[in-house]
This record gives sequence, structure tokens and C-alpha cells, in this order.
Amino acid sequence: MIKRKNAPSLQAIEKINFISPVKIQLGEHTPFFWMKEVPNETARLDFIFHAGTTRGSNLISSLVAGLLFSGTNKKTATDIHNELDDLGAFFDVGLGHESVLVSFYALKKNILAVFKIFEDALEHVNFPQNEIDELITDRKQKLKINCEKVGFLAQREFQKNLFHGTNYARQTELEDYDTVRREEIIEYFSKNYKNGLRKVVLVGALDEVQVTEIAEKSKKWCLHEEPLFENNFKNNKGVFQLKKKDAVQSAVRIGKTLFNKNNSDFLGFSILNTILGDYFGSRLMKNIREDKGYTYGISSTEAELAKSGYFMIGTEVGSAQKDLAIQEIKNEIERLQKDLVPDEELELVRNYLLGQLLKSADGPYAMTDLFLSVDAYDLDFSFYENYIQKVKNIDAEELRALAVKYLAWDSMTIVIAG
Amino acid sequence: MVKFERFQLSNGLKVIFHKDTSTPMAVVNVLYDIGARDESEEKTGFAHLFEHLMFGGSVNIPDFDTELQKAGGENNAFTSNDITNYYDVLPANNLNTALWLESDRMLSLAFTEKSLEVQRSVVIEEFKQRYLNQPYGDVWLELRPLAYKKHPYKWATIGKEISHIENATMEDVRAFFKKYYCPSNAILCIAGNFELDFIKERMNYWFSDIDSGKKPARIIASEPKQIEFRELELERNVPASAFYYAFKMAERKHPDYYIADILSDSLSREKSSLLYLKLKKEKPFVSEIVAYITGSIDEGLFIISGKLNDGISFEDFDNALWEVLNEVCLNPIEEKELNSLKIKMQTARAFQEQGILNRSMNLCYFELLGDANGINEEHLIYEQITCDHIQSYANELFQKTNCSLLKIKAQQA
Repeated sequence: MIKRKNAPSLQAIEKINFISPVKIQLGEHTPFFWMKEVPNETARLDFIFHAGTTRGSNLISSLVAGLLFSGTNKKTATDIHNELDDLGAFFDVGLGHESVLVSFYALKKNILAVFKIFEDALEHVNFPQNEIDELITDRKQKLKINCEKVGFLAQREFQKNLFHGTNYARQTELEDYDTVRREEIIEYFSKNYKNGLRKVVLVGALDEVQVTEIAEKSKKWCLHEEPLFENNFKNNKGVFQLKKKDAVQSAVRIGKTLFNKNNSDFLGFSILNTILGDYFGSRLMKNIREDKGYTYGISSTEAELAKSGYFMIGTEVGSAQKDLAIQEIKNEIERLQKDLVPDEELELVRNYLLGQLLKSADGPYAMTDLFLSVDAYDLDFSFYENYIQKVKNIDAEELRALAVKYLAWDSMTIVIAG
Repeated sequence: MVKFERFQLSNGLKVIFHKDTSTPMAVVNVLYDIGARDESEEKTGFAHLFEHLMFGGSVNIPDFDTELQKAGGENNAFTSNDITNYYDVLPANNLNTALWLESDRMLSLAFTEKSLEVQRSVVIEEFKQRYLNQPYGDVWLELRPLAYKKHPYKWATIGKEISHIENATMEDVRAFFKKYYCPSNAILCIAGNFELDFIKERMNYWFSDIDSGKKPARIIASEPKQIEFRELELERNVPASAFYYAFKMAERKHPDYYIADILSDSLSREKSSLLYLKLKKEKPFVSEIVAYITGSIDEGLFIISGKLNDGISFEDFDNALWEVLNEVCLNPIEEKELNSLKIKMQTARAFQEQGILNRSMNLCYFELLGDANGINEEHLIYEQITCDHIQSYANELFQKTNCSLLKIKAQQA
């Protein structure tokens, strides 16, 4: 007879083998990382430029990111897209506050050819007016549609209050589009891309010769000086409400500015954050979804910036239950500040986090991303060795002290849209 | 090439084992052959609501998630019109925990009133979040009944209306479990660094004492051939008018399915598809236009959808679109473009096949379609497709009488 009532015995995770990519220095401020241990034909090539929204106008930075493949004197946007298609390549451009990430995905045998198309497209991009106009029309429509979503409205308002008084707080408004000039786009590109390359990342079992060629040819875009970033944020505290007619749900965002991996409390806080709201069995999920049924989902995150970071709780709840839901969020935070996390729950979170770390290190792509998420803060894989120790050893008193220190309700920015 | 072994337990449970020596993780994927198409029209949304209840405790284990998290794992599930699929990802040395959990909930659920009550509310909030509180969110609630008159694809997985979810009773839940959640109606895949003998032994240990149940007969109203153009215009408080042209297309196992798939890729090429060049670049009718297929097991839909630019009427756009579709029917695509589409598919497949989770889900799905080895054979079907095949299928597809058109008219425009 099978003993179904009793859980099978569990095995602990003893060790994770971290593999660092090879580092090639392209310029004083620009490394090239190459993860070559890839057991298949795929490859990814990333370029990170110091060209995020805080480098100038929000709108211009976002238009430039959308126009990197808009054409040269010899090729139209369609030509460039066709060439990439013929190589079976996919690409993606991501814009953040602090950087722009251009990623290519292709079979490794095609990566060098893909790079050459990118090199030509970027070196000679001439921002045709018709492409600019088309993008502006599209973006205006998208912005109008997004403004119909309570989640989008809440997120914008949250960012404004989180980062107020800095470039990070700025948002694009519809009327901003009417005054865009092509010269601004060209100027922004020259200033932030031509000598704006902060990092190149290659994952793929390529030949060394090809890697060297990509590295050599990327050197011309290297940053000339060390990038500087804001670190002095102070969020506006209190409640900010946005009304949206006919909304059947309200979006809620609650949070504050915090820190990144360079702060000694980061590790402990990340464990606290997991307990509160960063996994399916978190306290917020258990209470607000699985006990009360107020929402389809609720989570909390610990987000990082180059020199800072922030904490945020986000959810969308039935409009009639929003006050009850916010009260329950407050109750859960206070519970962490007053009571010790029970042993059983802490044990579960330890196991869960170690299992997730093992998963985050599974395969060359995951391993590379794990590496990048410490390298961005001038740290190395020893960070994760410390993390494993911290997860194993943190106690309930320390977690409670962290909750008291960082989760005071009156230190929060609270945004409700709906 | 995805290698796998296949065996069946005495109670009918089909098991696929995929060995991967490179990963420290394991996946247990369980596909139940039950989707929204199996629901009755008076109780829609049930397959999906049930998926939520599968996490509300099983007969011997009060909390599924907690036990899996203790083992360092995580899980999720999804429901489509065709299937319900559950997966667990956890460190390989804790595989037993996932098998314990999956076998117990296949054996029986706890059926607590509390779980039903809470998950009803959660699903209603999901309904609001995804379908009611988003611009264009209700499109699929409207398009399905326009395109399908008899077949149960006429309702979405979330259900036809909220009241069906509100009215679900414990009796319904029990009956649903008994009918569909049994070994003879499931396919389970284990992936990770294990030996076959070990997997056989563990599967027998955890699953072989579960009553086989009876694979339910599937009696689904077949959709009569569409013989007329259908059109529905709705006004909504949205900033831009949107269009959804839905053409009936071949079912999943038909060779034409693959042709339709490539055709949709061709019409969706960023900055270079005919739709883009004619309807956006040459004349700016639309801000966006895409083509895709629903990928369903029974007769599916080939969708062309997008949004109109300000000041463009549905009528002007409609004329222009049909001109382009006629062109697609008249002129075969070039060999060069077809090759480019095939290379792109190969690349996408190489990336998708990297993770054991994707491979496990696909193995189960292909086994449901008839043979798990389809995962290794499908690309051969794509490779044999010619420009003539595509042209010929386009002529069959792009008939006005084969089309259902949903127009969302913007009140704000």
C-alpha cells in the first residue's frame, strides 16, 4: 500500500556549478562576454547601448530605439528586414531607463552574417522621414490604447511619484509627438549610440575567428567615458488616485525606492520579498487570491537600477474590493513586522529559492543571464555563493527586522487607478 | 531530434520519457484530453474553472503548491479549447514529489466548498481582467460565435458568460472529475536525467493503483460548411477601430494546416509582407496588420486583424484588403521568400527545443494528435510545401463566403 499521506523525502541542493563567460575587453568601459559552451546550433547576440530614456527626451529615445533598422542610403527598412529574414534571424529591441538592449537570435552559422547586416544598418542609418512619420502614427495609437488600461495608468503614475524630480519620472504625453523633429532623432542617435556601446554578449558555440571579427568590428561604437547614473531617489509618499470611468477593476501599485545588489541588505530583503509576494505561495497570493478571491493575481518585486532600486506590489482587483484588498496588503506587511515567520514557512521558502536558483542556472542562456545580472553591479558569481549561504542561514528575527526597517506603510507610494 | 521512450501502465495511462543528461532539473507534464470544446453549452468555462480547482487540494494532500515549493519546484497549467495541460518543474532529485502530487490529484480531489467558492471568484476576476477591463478584450467572446454556429469553438475557454461560472456547483465539479480526470484520458511525460527502468518503476509505484476510468467518447457537433459572408459591427469605447477577418481553415491533422501556417507567416512578415507593403506602406490604411492561425485541433481560424488609422473607413479598407488577397491568390509567392520562411521556422524550432519543458509539452501534445514522434517529423511536412501549394490553398481560403468579419468601431475616433 502506498503511503500517500506522507510526502516523499526531499533532497537538498548541495552545489550549483556556475560557468562564467569569457571576457574580451573592447574598450575601457566596454566588455564583450562570450558563452561558448552551447550544446546546440543556436546563438544569441546582444548589444547594450548607453541610450535609455534618461539620456534625453523620453520620446526621442524611444523613437530612436524603434528606428534602428529604418534604412540607409542604400537600403530601405524593408530590405534590411528581408535580409534578416533570409538568415532566419529574429531580433528584439528593448528600451529601459538606463539602456537599450538589441538582441539577435539565429542559428550560429548565421550570426556573423546577421552582425554584418546590423553593423551596416547602424553605421549608415539615415532615419527616413516617412519611417519616422509611420512610427509616430503607430506609437500615438498605441499610447491612446494603453491609456485605456488601468494597469498602464497606474504604472505611469507610480513611476512619476517613485522617481519624482529626476529624469526617471518623465512620461511621454500624446501632444509630445506633435513637435518631434528629425534633427533631434539624428542628434540623439549620434550622441548615444555612435559611441554608446556598453556591453556585447554572445551565447553560442561559434568559431573563435568569427567571434574576433564581431568583437573587432564592434569596437568603433565603444563608450568613451564611464556612464553615470542617478542614485538619489526619494519617492512621494501617500495615496494617489486616478479615476477611470466604467472600469470594473482597479489597478493598485504600492512601493518605494530601495537599493540594488550592492546593498548589504539586498539578499535578506529578497528573501523577505519572496515570502511577502514573489511566488505563487506567497502571503499576498494566499490571502488576497487564494483566501479572499479578490484578484486573479498579486505580486511584489524587488527591481534594480544601476545605482539604486525599488520595491513594488502590483495587482488588479475588483473595483468594489479595492479598499479591502489594500487593507489586507497592509495587514500582511504589519504581520511581517510584528510576528516571526514560522519555521515551516521559512523552510519552504529556503527550498523553493534554492530550487529556483538551480533552474536559473540551467542551460547556457540562463547561465549567461544569471551572470549578467551580477556583472551589471560589478559583482561576480560569488554573489550567488553568498546568496545560497544567506538563504540557508537567515533567521526569522532578521526578516522581521528587515520588514520593520524597509516596509513602513507610511514610507510607501500608493497608486490606485480605476 | 528529440529522443523519447513510450510505455503504457495497465490502467491505460500513457507515459513518455525524455532523457536529457544536461540538466539538473526535471519536468513532469500531464495533459488531460479535455478542453472547452467538451463542455455543454449551458455550462461553459468549466474546463478552465476546473483547472483552478486542481490546485485546491487532493484526496490525501491538502495543498499542492506548498508541497511542490518545499521540493524547490514550481508549476502552472493552462486550458485551451482542446486540452488542459499541467506541468511541474523541479530539481531532478526531487522527482518523487511531483509524481506523488500528480498521482494523488489524478486519484481524487478533496472537493472542498471553500476551494470552489474562492476559485469561482478568482476566475471571475480573471474574466474581468482579461476580457472586460481591456480595450478590445471582448473580441474573442464576439468573434467565436460569429465564426462557429454549431461547433463548441463558438465559446471561449473562459466561458460564454460570467453566470456559468457563478452557477457551477459541487455536483458539477465531481461529475466533471469522474468523467475526464482518469488515467485513460491522460498523457504524462517525464523529462530529465533518469534511466528508463527507474521511470517505469516510479510510474508504476505512484500511478498503477488508480482506477483506469473510461476514456469519454467525444461527441461534438460538427460545424456545417460556411456558405455565406458574415459580418458584425460593434461600437466600443476604444481609441482606434479594429478589424478581425476570420477564415475557416483546415483542422490540425490535415496537410493544409501546415500550408495555412506558412501562409500566415508570409502575410505577417515585419515590414515586408504584402499586407504591410500595400495597406500600410503604399497607402496608410492601417497602423498594424497581422495574420495568424488559431492552431486548434478541429477546423480552425485563419485570422487577419489590425487597427485602422484615423480617418480611414472600414469600407475603404475592406476593398483594399480584398484586392491584396486577390493578388495573393493570383500570384504565387517567390521561391526565395518561401525558403526564407522555412529557415525562420527552423531557427524558431531550434530555440523552442532547447528547454525540457517545451519538449515535454510538445511530446504530450503530439501523442494526443496520434504520435509523439510528430515532434521530429513535422518539419519534414513543412519542407515539402511548395509555392504552388500555398497559392492553391490561398484560393480555397480567401473566399468571401468563407469569412466572418468582426468590426470594432471606435467611439473615440
